[in-house]
Amino acid sequence: MDSKPSPHSTPFAKPSRREFLYAGLAGGLGLTMGDLLKLRAAEAKEDSPLIAKADSLIHIYLPGGCAAQETWDPKPLAPMEYRGPLSTVDTSIPGIKFSQYMKNTAKIADRLTVVRSMTHGEAAHERGTHNMFTGYRPSPALQYPSIGSVVSHELGSRNQLPPYVCVPNVANEFAGTGYLSTAFGPFALGSEPADAAFKVRDLSLPTTVSPERFERRRSILDTVDSHFRYLEQSDALRSMDSFYEAAYAMISSPSAREAFNLASEPAALKDSYGRNVAGQRLLMARRLVEAGVRTVSVTFGGWDHHTNIARAMETNAVPFDQAFAALITDLEQRGMLERTLVMVSSEFGRTPKINKDAGRDHWPRVFSVAFAGGGFKRGLIYGSSDATGAEPESNPLSVENMAATVFNQLGIRPNSYLNAPGGRPVMIVKDGQVMSDLIA
Amino acid sequence: MNSSAKLLRYAGLFLALPFLSHAAPVLDVFPPDAHLYHKLDSQLFAVRVIQDNGIHLDVTNEAKLTVEDPSKASLDKNLLLPKTAGSTKLKVEWKGLTASIPVTVEKPDVEPPVSFRLDVMPVFMKAECNRCHGAARGQDGFKLSLWGFDPDTDYFRITREQPGRRVNLAVPEESLLLTKSDGEAAHTGGKRFEKNSPMYQTMLRWLKAGALEDPKDLAQLTGVDLMPGSLVMEGPGQSFRLNVRAKYSDGTTRDVTTTALFLSNNEGTAKVAPDGTLTTGLRGEAFVMARFGAFTVGTQVIVLPKDVKYQWPNTKENNEIDKLVNAKLKNLRMTPSPTCDDLTFLRRVFIDITGTLPPLDRVTAFGKDTDPEKRVKLIDELLKRPEFIDLWTLKWADLLQIRTINNVAYNKNIQMYHNWLRDEMQAGVPLNQLAAKLLTASGSNLENPAATFYSLEVDPIRVTEDAAQAMLGIRIQCAQCHNHPFDRWSMSDYRGLMAFFTQVGRKAGEDPREKIIYNSGGGEALHPVGNKPVPPKFPGGAEPDVKGKDRREVLAQWLADPQNPWFAKHMANLVWAHLTGVGIVNPVDDIRISNPPSNPQLLEYLAKRMVEVNFDIRKLAREICLSETYQRSTRANETNELDSRNYSKGTIRRMRAEVLLDAIADASGNSAKHTGLPQGIRAVEVADANKTNYFLTTFGRSTRINVCARDECNPTLSQALHLLTGTTVESNITGGNLVSKEIAAGKTPTDIMTELYLRVISRPPTEEESASLQALFSDKEQTKATLEDIQWALLNSKEFIFNH
Repeated sequence: MDSKPSPHSTPFAKPSRREFLYAGLAGGLGLTMGDLLKLRAAEAKEDSPLIAKADSLIHIYLPGGCAAQETWDPKPLAPMEYRGPLSTVDTSIPGIKFSQYMKNTAKIADRLTVVRSMTHGEAAHERGTHNMFTGYRPSPALQYPSIGSVVSHELGSRNQLPPYVCVPNVANEFAGTGYLSTAFGPFALGSEPADAAFKVRDLSLPTTVSPERFERRRSILDTVDSHFRYLEQSDALRSMDSFYEAAYAMISSPSAREAFNLASEPAALKDSYGRNVAGQRLLMARRLVEAGVRTVSVTFGGWDHHTNIARAMETNAVPFDQAFAALITDLEQRGMLERTLVMVSSEFGRTPKINKDAGRDHWPRVFSVAFAGGGFKRGLIYGSSDATGAEPESNPLSVENMAATVFNQLGIRPNSYLNAPGGRPVMIVKDGQVMSDLIA
Repeated sequence: MNSSAKLLRYAGLFLALPFLSHAAPVLDVFPPDAHLYHKLDSQLFAVRVIQDNGIHLDVTNEAKLTVEDPSKASLDKNLLLPKTAGSTKLKVEWKGLTASIPVTVEKPDVEPPVSFRLDVMPVFMKAECNRCHGAARGQDGFKLSLWGFDPDTDYFRITREQPGRRVNLAVPEESLLLTKSDGEAAHTGGKRFEKNSPMYQTMLRWLKAGALEDPKDLAQLTGVDLMPGSLVMEGPGQSFRLNVRAKYSDGTTRDVTTTALFLSNNEGTAKVAPDGTLTTGLRGEAFVMARFGAFTVGTQVIVLPKDVKYQWPNTKENNEIDKLVNAKLKNLRMTPSPTCDDLTFLRRVFIDITGTLPPLDRVTAFGKDTDPEKRVKLIDELLKRPEFIDLWTLKWADLLQIRTINNVAYNKNIQMYHNWLRDEMQAGVPLNQLAAKLLTASGSNLENPAATFYSLEVDPIRVTEDAAQAMLGIRIQCAQCHNHPFDRWSMSDYRGLMAFFTQVGRKAGEDPREKIIYNSGGGEALHPVGNKPVPPKFPGGAEPDVKGKDRREVLAQWLADPQNPWFAKHMANLVWAHLTGVGIVNPVDDIRISNPPSNPQLLEYLAKRMVEVNFDIRKLAREICLSETYQRSTRANETNELDSRNYSKGTIRRMRAEVLLDAIADASGNSAKHTGLPQGIRAVEVADANKTNYFLTTFGRSTRINVCARDECNPTLSQALHLLTGTTVESNITGGNLVSKEIAAGKTPTDIMTELYLRVISRPPTEEESASLQALFSDKEQTKATLEDIQWALLNSKEFIFNH
């Protein structure tokens, strides 16, 4: 018996905590008195609202499992078979080196928090991806929502824009809404920002339909729908309704449409990001958060480097490095970095030793993630991996603690509850600690 | 008693219960018989009464239990202990109700040796040792196998890996195995059990006996029963003693209630203590599981608030399906929604059976038709339509992942494979025969297109997993590396199934598009533990004789056998889910213990019918469509508002991508055109999943990269935008040019409007709609534009997009 939280008539509206409690009671299924009292206590204790340090999140995801050794955490002093084929560059943090292709990022390292001790236990792509997108280990019993969908659910939309946008497409099956209503699902651009003819589909009216005519159509549609709405209720219908509302808002708001108009970015800026997939996707992400999107999830490249990692890194890391450094610089110059949290992650790292095919295999025991802005410390290298990059040596960071810290910066209490099917209360992050060492 | 017989027995009890009709209370004793084999054997009993209001009570404490012949066995409360050999009866009496339970006692003087596998391994499970120590790297230097899948290695690690450390045979009490567990020695996992617990005593007896390895001919665990099979209780705060019994290959049984591990999928509704006592919480349904050895078994628990005032209404029951659905609804105190009206039925049954909208003339005629049998006749007519075949070919094409793959599967291969599939469906080949043909397909894929089954995927691991998911609805992926944590599948099951696919030979033909599939007669599936070949074994079944045979033939025979426990159930569930919108097991391709059917009796029945109708989709679909359950309105009442799994009302669902696109074209009077395909080929008929377009992709058409048994129908913002401003609706309105044609034919705007309504949403406009839209016709210049705006609005309406 599903009792999913219901989206409301306004686009992407967020149910209040009281409504949530009501839903839990009305669902009446499985919420025990003890749970209820706990919730009430939590509610009382948390009456003081959490102050958000960031308004939006850009999550850059490097699918396949990016090797920390060839990016954030080189091992220049390790034996050859661990060190790998690449050399290093000095960064703007004294004594800290990145791998050779990260030369632009190295120059802005003093704006970043790099965690070199990320760790979890899932060495299969889909399971590792699940961890990094939801903050939960995969469960056969429950589909967890992605961070972006939880943010949509908690914070709602701004400026008539969808709260959660995927560039260019929904990253993977775990980037969706899990047990939350599909109304909190991502909007995918569906086309490639780097293409010369890039245009997000269906945002403007066809030339044959004037705004007045569209208004008339809309009012006829309201007439037809109101009959059905009066008769029928279901989560799928409510989701569709809320997406229609959101679509109207976007179509009728020139500024919302303009958010997707990458063509209006100056050519020089486009050049600085790189006229390639990495560059234009990240530029698009900046444009979207600037306009008011809450979460932009960007994927770039293929980082599953089982063979010839030197070559593969040249293809992937070089454009990534340029685009990422340009993004941070651009955000800073616009005064947006403080209020925008940028996170770079991947499903896991790669084996300490180079394999027989000159590549590295899956390794979740220790790898790196990077953050910038959104109240994270500047110029911090947090935690370390051991001499060969096999295990965390100091301050291991768990998936739960990473997710809890991200939510906290966005003003969402990670230990508050969402309502899963059957009226079951599920914590946004289970037992996650906000890592005060990471935040300023 | 075998499990199906037992299920029937409980089903019988469960269903024979005319709710609130003040039937006489029923007394049950669990287990229904008892066998005590040796001195240390014992049996716990639970006594249940089903009250006249349908609520179950545990009356074990209140009931009077006596042993008929006290010389044979004795009772300590509800625990039966052996005295002398022979047979007797346990007499149970509660408020005038009685039951008599046969008891046999075999060798009450013999103290049996302690077995590592049968006695000690269950302790690791119950005390949850192998939860932490079962991690891939063990825990704190000590490793056990996950969920105990590898007893040989566990024995080695305990007794031999570090001699004298874990096991101290000189002073067994000082063995680290015990001192870590009882809290005497420091243990990260804390104290696991007390010194006086049976778990401690079992371990100690084994150590005292010399920590011996088991004899080779040791009886194997063959199954576990959790009793009762279902419970309907009040909550919160009521309790019930569950009972668990293990069965062994030598025909013996054992009471393992205190040694089994209990889990609940909804602790808010039903919680189970380690001793098997279930306690109810708030209203809801819970599935409670017991795990023992490699087996996990479950029971369904419904919890209702105390003293619910409820009256079951008199509701139509057209056939057995309705009886089974209503039996559950009665227990849930849920009133079903009434029968849907004629036009709703017409539209629903057209979409569900043929994937098309009802044509204009049918909509007009059906409402007026006074034949009381008109629904039956319509169902029969639609099941004979070719579109029914198209729709099921599409569903199977999803299951079989029919798509072009660069340099592997060419357009010709895919067309031939798809055509073959459609021909088989058209010819009415029973589904079990169809599956068998696919599994045994040999020869050139250009001569026998079914052989494409083996050329789309060559890795035996993927072939095994895909076949299991597509044809049996089970996901055995987990068991590739360890025993499935939430299901019955072990690594041996996995390799055993894989062994049927390791001797598939493939060679290239002369044409690059040709692959020749043959039985290579060599190749084995190696078990990751010990690297030994695993002989072919049916999932959860026997090891057949495959000597000198094509192993696939043996598997196909098993699969196609009407007795096969999985196939009929899975196929019946697919048909049911397609027609009602929700699988009894949901999602449909994830049949596992911990994802129980919402109505097991219904699923059993439909599977039985699937066999009886010789795996004919048409016949099963007919029976389902005829049921009142299928014909219910989607409108909720206050009792069934939250129901989504129990069929108390119709399910509202978006039409699947292909059907919706075809419906837009059809309702607009337009003929479909897909790139590279002839005019008029509908989206439903497209063979290759890679021949797609923006509409189909955005509305969730399966890419067929993975086995896909469900239609992806979640709404998104992109879908809303595309319907509002995108090319699909616009180009179909223009392409069909319906409004202009009708104006030219001299029809009035009002008539055209009504026609548009009937074409798109299969009903005439209501009076209010009519009144409000009529006003728009005052501007004569704009008649065409206005009518096309109405057409556009109808195509964008939820009433159109959703099947309801």
